[in-house]
Amino acid sequence: MNFRTETIAGNVAAIRADGRLNMVSAPLLREVVSAAIAAGTVRIVVDLSGVDFMDSSGLGALIGGLKVARQAGGDLRIAGATPQVALVFELTHLDRILQNHATAETAYRD
Amino acid sequence: MTDSDTTLALSTPPDDIDTVQDFVQRVLEPHSDIVDIDRFAFETALVELASNVIQHAAAGTGITCVLSIHADDHELSARISDTGTAGAVTLSGPVLPDDLAESGRGLALIQMLVDSVHFERVGDRNVWTISRARHPLP
Repeated sequence: MNFRTETIAGNVAAIRADGRLNMVSAPLLREVVSAAIAAGTVRIVVDLSGVDFMDSSGLGALIGGLKVARQAGGDLRIAGATPQVALVFELTHLDRILQNHATAETAYRD
Repeated sequence: MTDSDTTLALSTPPDDIDTVQDFVQRVLEPHSDIVDIDRFAFETALVELASNVIQHAAAGTGITCVLSIHADDHELSARISDTGTAGAVTLSGPVLPDDLAESGRGLALIQMLVDSVHFERVGDRNVWTISRARHPLP
């Protein structure tokens, strides 16, 4: 699993994730989100289009990131959820909290 | 599809959840007629279960664990047996924590993803079994 962070239009930090978001990689995602916020970008989007698998520890890391972003006056959104990832969001009803957007670039167009 | 039974023995550390998931994918890969929802659900439940086992082992000195997977035309099932300490396990149906909780969804997810989950303490081992009926073949 690796994460790349880039700033995209609207002063949004796009975190592109690749691989499995599980108990091994979830702590790293928490760090990457915190680092982006510490660097001054409080609007975060996690691009999940390269994540072919996520479990409950991945969900926990996203919720943790959402809380940190909100505390800093920002937000955390998700984009590009693949079918297994979408299933985990639906079953846990967290699709109400973190709605999926088609792409990172469209996540803050509202 | 023919029946298959495959077993993995692992020791954690150094083995981790990626070792388990690589194994699950390798076992299911030849069974190309498993529909996505069955594959996703079974794989996710198994990873949640193994994560639970590994996580509890992390508090101590590590564990050895034996994972067996059975696949046939009707059902996918797995058995995980580990040397971790006995835990208080309640399987009274899926109960999700608050929306903003950062943990505590693993066991609930497992119960939503498979048709049966069973836990028992056998001697000095914890034994988990899960099974999911497959969608009928077209």
